[in-house]
Amino acid sequence: LAVERLASVLLSSLLLAGLYATMAYGLAVIYGVMRIINLAHAGLMMLAAYVTLTLNTHFGLDPFLSLLVVAPLFFGFGVVLDLTLIRRLPRGGNAPSMQSLLLLFGLWLVLQNLAYVVWGGDTQSILTPYAMSSVPLLGERYGVPQLLVFGVSLVSLVGLNIVLRRTFLGKAIRAVTQNRDAALLSGVNAGRISAVAFGLGTAFAAIAGTMLSALYAFTPDFGRSLLLKAFCIIVLGGMESFTGVAIGALVLALIENLVAAYTTIPTSFQDAISFSLLVLVLVAAPNGLLALFRGFSRRAVAR
Amino acid sequence: VKSWLKRSGLPSWFVVLAAALLLAPAVADRGTLNDLWSVAFAVVLASAWNLLGGFAGQISLGYSAFVGMGAYTTVLLANRGWNPWLTLPVGAALAVVFSVMVGFPTFRLRGPYFSIATIGVSEAVRVIASGMELTGGSSGLRMPSASFHFLSNYYGMAGLALLTVAVVAFIRHHAFGMALEAIRQDIDAAEALGIHSTRYKLWAHAVSAGLVGAGGGLFAMNFQYISPGSVFDFSLSLRIVLMPIVGGIGTLVGPVLGAVLFGYLQIKLLASPTLRDFNLFIYGGLLMLVMLFEPRGIVGLWERLRRLWRRPTPAAVEVPRGG
Repeated sequence: LAVERLASVLLSSLLLAGLYATMAYGLAVIYGVMRIINLAHAGLMMLAAYVTLTLNTHFGLDPFLSLLVVAPLFFGFGVVLDLTLIRRLPRGGNAPSMQSLLLLFGLWLVLQNLAYVVWGGDTQSILTPYAMSSVPLLGERYGVPQLLVFGVSLVSLVGLNIVLRRTFLGKAIRAVTQNRDAALLSGVNAGRISAVAFGLGTAFAAIAGTMLSALYAFTPDFGRSLLLKAFCIIVLGGMESFTGVAIGALVLALIENLVAAYTTIPTSFQDAISFSLLVLVLVAAPNGLLALFRGFSRRAVAR
Repeated sequence: VKSWLKRSGLPSWFVVLAAALLLAPAVADRGTLNDLWSVAFAVVLASAWNLLGGFAGQISLGYSAFVGMGAYTTVLLANRGWNPWLTLPVGAALAVVFSVMVGFPTFRLRGPYFSIATIGVSEAVRVIASGMELTGGSSGLRMPSASFHFLSNYYGMAGLALLTVAVVAFIRHHAFGMALEAIRQDIDAAEALGIHSTRYKLWAHAVSAGLVGAGGGLFAMNFQYISPGSVFDFSLSLRIVLMPIVGGIGTLVGPVLGAVLFGYLQIKLLASPTLRDFNLFIYGGLLMLVMLFEPRGIVGLWERLRRLWRRPTPAAVEVPRGG
């Protein structure tokens, strides 16, 4: 029985990790290319959840199908944000600047107010026909939405990985991430790459937001604790490494589920655990777990 | 008076502020005094935050934790029979202790990483306060009845506001303030000059946390009821950060200007329901405008206007103190 219980904890952690990784990857790609910490990430997730809600109520579009609309829409929105706002700030060298952090903080508040004005402050949720159905797996039952979320996360992350590894644009993004100056010298158009990166990060925030809307209820205030979790993940994962993000997501999901399953800490304190973990990891392993464990290997830095 | 002001590093407008705050009860009615109380509270929060965030450049987004600690200490002790005024030093001391506990690990982080860690800490504190029985959970706590006396609350908050501005001015004027300024400009260079950056940051954090903690206690005394949603809330941390930034970060007058502006805005916002629906537009929009066009806030704008006014001759060009 103990083995079965552990197996179910591991499996549900894996399912949760897919969502977490999607959520965190948007932050990581923007940080990697632009050295900007996107505090508006939570606002973008929230906005995507509301757009999904509108598509669902007005056109009856399924949340997972609406990804096909929402993701490109937010990619465009991200590019516009980069061109109109972020480009105006002075570049802060290799360290992330406070100015961009506070600017995006302001953007987050504006997005929250926008959602409040357009959709009201009530708690909203999207009810899909399969919301209550579940599938038996290894002796436990798992909700169909959770499995769909995991599938979508897997597809989008693998898709992104292929784009980053096989296309010129993807290689340029990775080049700027690794060494901005060297990338500029070899003819990469850093301005365009920044716009694409911010678009990609925004699109991933939107994908995560849409999937969250299929799982949980949301309000305009939605997303703050998720933003902190996403930070926790990218710090665990070493800020810019693709595998690192996946590992960070898995670690966080595992810790949360293990704590819930094996300790008597009440669920109301759960978020406090991941927030404390964030601070702990920031302080103890600022370069991420990978760097901590694979200190002997320089390959840890490259993807 | 003038030489005394100069020695303690106080600007001349401090006299005006002090006179306005202390003489107001003689002429103003209760409603105006209430508004002035809010402004004084805002001055405490903004000026104290500016000590660490402005002078030392460590942008903390978690100051509501200190407000909450002060407020909860006051309410919990007052309910056990303490005189509320005697609880203020206890709340301040607890905030100081907590600031050191938080500062030790987080001051190893730089720039935005520090900011994010402070969100993490304050959110963790809020979640715990909402879940604990001692703090009454998310429904909050009430002060014992008959502990309310508005005029002494007013003088308490006005006095704390003046004390805060005076402490910050004193620090800025002395070696401590210069060390903080050096840390803000270039922490590595400051360390190379023998400034123990972590120690100075911890001190600045402790002083400002103590002042904010006392402010939280006074807040509880005046509002009589507190809950995690009112004193541990993220939006409170947010307002604390916005006031000095909009006013002019790292200057003495900036946080006071920002506090007066936001105090006024807050009163207007509470008065009109349509404006209240747009309060985040105003906060967020102001923050974005300041970051895009004038990172030094109202003070920077003023200096820019003044420079336009009198054409600078090369000798008259000022070197901005930075912010």
